[in-house]
Amino acid sequence: MNNNVILESQVILETEGLCKYWGGLKALDDISLKFHDRELHGIVGPNGAGKSTLLNLLCGHYKPTSGRIVHEGAPIDAIKPYAFARRGIGRSFQKTNIYPNATCLENCSVAVQRRMGGSFNFLRSRHRQEVLEEIATEALEKVGLLSRRNEVAAHISYGEQRQLEIAMVLATSPCVLLLDEPMAGMGHEESQLIIELLKQLKQEYCIVLVEHDMDAVFELSDKLTVMVDGQHLTTGTVDRVRDDPRVKEAYLGQGDEVY
Amino acid sequence: MLFNNRTERYFVWVFFPLALLMPLFLEQNTFYVSKLTTVMIFAIFVMSLDYLVGRCGLITLGHAMFYGLGGYIFVMIAPEYEAVNFWVYTFYICVIAAAVALVIGFLVLRTSGIYMIMITLAFAQMTYYFFSDSLDFGGNDGVFIYVKPDTSLFGLSLFDLENPTHFYYLCLLSLFNTLFFFRLVTRSRFGRVIDSIHENPGRTTALGYNIFVFRLMAYTMASALGAYAGYLFTLQYGFVNPSMLAWTTSGSALVMSILGGIGSIYGAILGVLVYEGLHFSLEHLTEHWLLFMGALIILMVILFKNGIAGYLEKLLERR
Repeated sequence: MNNNVILESQVILETEGLCKYWGGLKALDDISLKFHDRELHGIVGPNGAGKSTLLNLLCGHYKPTSGRIVHEGAPIDAIKPYAFARRGIGRSFQKTNIYPNATCLENCSVAVQRRMGGSFNFLRSRHRQEVLEEIATEALEKVGLLSRRNEVAAHISYGEQRQLEIAMVLATSPCVLLLDEPMAGMGHEESQLIIELLKQLKQEYCIVLVEHDMDAVFELSDKLTVMVDGQHLTTGTVDRVRDDPRVKEAYLGQGDEVY
Repeated sequence: MLFNNRTERYFVWVFFPLALLMPLFLEQNTFYVSKLTTVMIFAIFVMSLDYLVGRCGLITLGHAMFYGLGGYIFVMIAPEYEAVNFWVYTFYICVIAAAVALVIGFLVLRTSGIYMIMITLAFAQMTYYFFSDSLDFGGNDGVFIYVKPDTSLFGLSLFDLENPTHFYYLCLLSLFNTLFFFRLVTRSRFGRVIDSIHENPGRTTALGYNIFVFRLMAYTMASALGAYAGYLFTLQYGFVNPSMLAWTTSGSALVMSILGGIGSIYGAILGVLVYEGLHFSLEHLTEHWLLFMGALIILMVILFKNGIAGYLEKLLERR
């Protein structure tokens, strides 16, 4: 896009002066960002820049020291961690976080059941509801794991487990996806698969992507934020950020092995 | 199929018919009948603990508190010299125990792991000393029950609690119902959430579940059943005393649950049978029976990775 005018879509998630201190350490300092619907917002920065901390705040895992998180116009930083997922903020984790002893279908069923209800039904069989399993299957199909539907999650490959994790988030029918290094530890071909997947997903969802694979981030991001030492450095389109001298100095200029 | 595990199905088909016929073989010997009754009662208690520890991942050393409360609630609310209705009081006891569990669970479930063990133990010990020091409840000697409840239902008295064989069948039926109930619960949607919380609590929160509420429900349910077992025990022997509340009761229940195969639910029956069987036979051989029993249990825990139930499952799989 050479067009200078960026069509602003609706802001779904917003942070205002978000801070997180661990004692005297400023893990995150005054971050104000806007995440738009149907956009993939990449977040990059060297190790310790506060990327994961930011995600942990956005999904309710940590409570901010100060600042606000606004979701669809309502401040949500004071609500309980589980309530974030109920509002449609789903996240995947840096370290694979699934139910290893359950089948892939069951992994997604847990996610679907949360919004379908019936979790306090003590007597009816969990397998009695076909609709639930249908939706769970759809989520598996979206990430290309349909053939693994009935396999135990611990027995599928690492890359597939990462896909499963995204399927679980999709199964909660989220509006925001917070993805923490979905391609970490993956081979080239597996990464390519995730990239294709994310390209499709970003047409439907607001995605916040933290990722170390620079090629992938540049290819996917509609907007890119660079963070350094817990502080916001710059936000803009990929081209603008890539040409920003401060960014080069802080991060990309470090060495050729990064880029 | 409700019992979808093959080993469990076999076990249910072997154990319950055998247990049904047992009083016929032992017609002359009420001693064995009442011994087996106690085994059934304790199996209900161990099963409820097994559900908490093995299925929910909530390790408690205070489960005996509810076992004892089952008896003490009865002597608290029932008139001393008047027969009350068994069914009505079963209902009362389960509801009151559930209410107590709701309050205690609310405090206890804020912690986890070793801290939860400590706090459940603390609550149980508090209850123990309360009852063993209180004069109103007979202190260390406990309280006798002079009149057993009558069991009429809509004017129809089906069985007599004074009759050991009748009581045996009541306990057997209760045990079967408990197993049946836990099977329903574990395969339900509630069970799905409990399984998820057990396996990965953090992930389950991230999917939007309030795991505290689910744990509290499970805790309340299991505690009420534990109290029911204690109530049956009290009715069988006609007294309640503080030793039911002691932490050693929780401890041996935990050992039986591990021996049977933790989290397998039906393993609780196996665990109690083997434990009590060993106890009974060794007791006759030597006065140092506890020493040999301890050694045998250590051996069994080392040999059978997932308890006796796990061992049987492996045997059947090989076929």
